[in-house]
Amino acid sequence: MIKTRHCSLAALAIALLCALPGYAGEEVKFEQPLLISSAGQSAEVQMVAILAKRSDLAYTLIKFASAQDLDGVKTLVLSLGASLKGLGAAGLDVQQEKDRLVQLVEAARARNMPVVCLHLGGQDRRGKLSDDFISTFLPYARLTIVVRSGNQDGLFTRICSQHDIPLIVVEKTVDAIQPFRQAFQ
Amino acid sequence: MSRRLQSLLLIMLAAVLACQTERPLAPPEDPHAPYDFAARKGMVVAAHPLAAQAGLEILERGGNAIDAAIATALALNAAEPFASGIGGGGFMVLYLAGENRVTVINFREKAPAASFPEMFHQDGKINLQRRRTHGLAVAVPGALAGWTHALAAYGTLTLADVVGGAIRIAEQGYEVSSTFSKANKDEYEKLIKNDGEDSLYLNHGFPFEAGDIFRNPELARFFRRLAELGTEDFYSGETASRIVEAVQAAGGEMTLEDLAAYRPQEYIPLSGSYGEYTLYSTLPPSCGGLHILQLLGIAQSWPLQEWGHNSPDYIHHMTEAFRFVFADKARYLGDPDFVSIPVGQLISQEHAQAVASRIRPGHTAGRYPSGEFGLEDGVDPNTTHLCVVDKEGNIVSLTQSINHFFGSGIVPADTGFLLNNHMDDFAADPLSPNAPGPHKRPVSNMGPLLLFREGHPYLALGSPGGTRIFPSLTQILLNVTVFDMSLDEAIEAPRFYSHSNLGKAGKLYLEDRISEATRTALEKMGHSLVIKEAFDRYFGGAQGLMLLPDKGLILGGADSRRDGHGAGY
Repeated sequence: MIKTRHCSLAALAIALLCALPGYAGEEVKFEQPLLISSAGQSAEVQMVAILAKRSDLAYTLIKFASAQDLDGVKTLVLSLGASLKGLGAAGLDVQQEKDRLVQLVEAARARNMPVVCLHLGGQDRRGKLSDDFISTFLPYARLTIVVRSGNQDGLFTRICSQHDIPLIVVEKTVDAIQPFRQAFQ
Repeated sequence: MSRRLQSLLLIMLAAVLACQTERPLAPPEDPHAPYDFAARKGMVVAAHPLAAQAGLEILERGGNAIDAAIATALALNAAEPFASGIGGGGFMVLYLAGENRVTVINFREKAPAASFPEMFHQDGKINLQRRRTHGLAVAVPGALAGWTHALAAYGTLTLADVVGGAIRIAEQGYEVSSTFSKANKDEYEKLIKNDGEDSLYLNHGFPFEAGDIFRNPELARFFRRLAELGTEDFYSGETASRIVEAVQAAGGEMTLEDLAAYRPQEYIPLSGSYGEYTLYSTLPPSCGGLHILQLLGIAQSWPLQEWGHNSPDYIHHMTEAFRFVFADKARYLGDPDFVSIPVGQLISQEHAQAVASRIRPGHTAGRYPSGEFGLEDGVDPNTTHLCVVDKEGNIVSLTQSINHFFGSGIVPADTGFLLNNHMDDFAADPLSPNAPGPHKRPVSNMGPLLLFREGHPYLALGSPGGTRIFPSLTQILLNVTVFDMSLDEAIEAPRFYSHSNLGKAGKLYLEDRISEATRTALEKMGHSLVIKEAFDRYFGGAQGLMLLPDKGLILGGADSRRDGHGAGY
C-alpha cells in the first residue's frame, strides 16, 4: 500500500515537473538518448543503467564520460556517490574526478542539456566524500531521484529546495524505475 | 582502580547475573560501546550472530571447539556469504588442551596448474579485471578440505553433523545488515557481470537494502547434498565439474585435475615471545603472525605507556614500524614451498633493533628499503574471523576468506556459493617471490593467533581487513597487554594504518575519533593523513576470546565495525 502511494506521488511529481519551468526559465524536457555517467565512481552507476534498461530507454553508460561524449545525447544522467574503491580502480583521485565532472556538466549546460541526478546508495553512500560530490554537482540537476535512507538528514531536500530542483524520494532502488521512466515520457 | 579491573568487575557481575537468571544480559544498544560477552563453559565469536549461535549449538550438544568452529565456518557461508565460504580458503590455529599442543591447518587456495608469472599482463599493463572478476581470478578452493581435515583429525562429529546450522540459516534467511547491503552495493557491478540480474545475491536485480530478507535455498540444497556425498563430490565429482565449468565460462583455466590435487597442510605454528607472552600463529604464506611478531619486537624497545595510547609519538612510531615491515613483506614473502623466506631472521631481536634504530622520533624516515617489488594495497575490507573455546579448553582461531567481498562474483550452477578471487593476492610483478605460478599459494595477510601468558592460553584473536589485518591485530594486542584495556575495549579503540610501497611512505589512515591535536602533530612529523569514519570497516572486523580460568570466565570481543557477535554458555 505504501509503495503504491509512493509511486502515485512520484507520478504526480513528474506531472508537475513537466509543467514547471527550468532554472533558465525554459520548460524542462527530458529526452532520449541518455548518457549515464558516475559522479564519484561508486557502483550505483551500474544500477542506473539497469533502471534505464528496464525502463526501455536508449542510453549509453560511460563511467568516465567527457564533454565529447555528449555528442548525440539529449539528457545527461549522473549517479551521485563517491567510492574510494571505484576511484582507485579507475586510477583517479578525488580532484581529477571533480575536474572531469565540472567540464562535463558545464558542457551539458552550454548545450542546454538537462541533467538528472540519482542517488541510489542510501545512507551507506553518504559521508564526507560522497557529500562533497553531492553538494557540488546536485545543483546542476533539473530532476533528482533519491533512495529515502540517503536523505535522512534532509541534505537532498535542502539543496533541491535552494535550487528549485524537483526531488523524488523512493523507498528502494527498484521503486525508482517508474519515476525514471515517466520522466522521459 | 585500574580500567581493566573496573571492566573485569562489571563483566563478573554480568556473568553472575547471567548465571542466576539463566539468560545472558543483552549487549548495549550502541553497538560501538565496548561490551565483553561473558560465559563460563564455552563461547563462539563470529562476524554474524546467527553463525555464532550455530557454533554454540554444537558446543551445547557436546561437540568440541573444532566441531563448533567448522559449524560456524559453514554457517558464515550462509550468514555472511560475501566474506567467506566454501569457495574460498583460510588458516586456522588450534590449541588441543588434552595434548597441550598448538597446531596449524593451512587451507589457503592454490593457483591452477596453468598459472604463470605474467598471466595478468596484457599489452604491457596489469589487467585488474583478470585479477579480480575474471575466471583467471579464481584459485582452487581449500575451505572444505581444511574443514574436513580438522574434523577428521581433531573433531568428534562429521561434516553432516555440523552443517545443520548453515542449512537452517540459508533456508530461513535473515535481515540484511548495513554491512551486507553496503558490500552488495559496492560489488554490484561484479555480480551483474558474472552472475547476472537474476543472481540470488541480488534482490530482483538490485542490491539488498538493510532490513530486506536474504535467503539462499540453493546453498541449503547444496549443503544437504554435501552432507550426503562429502568432500569427494566437491573435489572430483559433480560439484567439481560445476566449478570448472563456471570458471572456464568466465575465461579461467582451472581444471578437474587442479581440484582433485588440492590438499590442505598441517604444520607446527610460528611462535615467538613477547614479554611474559608467547604468540602462536601461522607461517607463510600467511604473513600476519610473522609481521605481528616483528611489530611487537620493534615496539618492545619503546616507552609506549609513557607516550600514551594513540598519542602522536605512539602513532608515529608504530606507523613507521608498519612501513618497515611492509617493506620486508614485499621483499621476502611468497609461498614457502617455492621460495626461501628468512623467517627466523625477520623475527629476531637483532632485526627488530635494527628497524627500531631507523625510526626517528618526530620525523618520518622517508625511505623504507623494500627491494624492487611493489605492494598492492587494496581498500577492500573482505575476509572473516571466528574463535571458539570449549569446556575442555580446546581453542580454535580461524580466518577464512573468498578475498574481496562477493569474491569473483562467479557462482557455480546450482550451488549458491561464491568462488574466490584470491589470485589477486599474487604480486603483479612477475619477478616477485609472490608471483603467480602452478600450484602456488598466494601470500595472505591473515594472522589468526593464540596468545599464551605464562604458558597458558590467554587470548585467541584474528581479523579480516586485507593489508590492515596485522597492523590492526598488533594494535589490539598492545591495547590489552600495554594499555590495560578489556578485550572489546581494545577491539573498538580507534585504529590507524599505513604501509610503504617501493620504499616510499603510504598515507596514514586514521579513524576520526583520533583527536585534531594528534592529527596536527602527526602532520608536523611529515605524515600525510587520510581521515576515515569513526568505526571504519576499512580497518577490519576483529573477533577475540580472553580466557580467565582463575575467575572461571571466558570473555568474548566482537568488532562493531562489522556485525560481530558472541554466543556462550
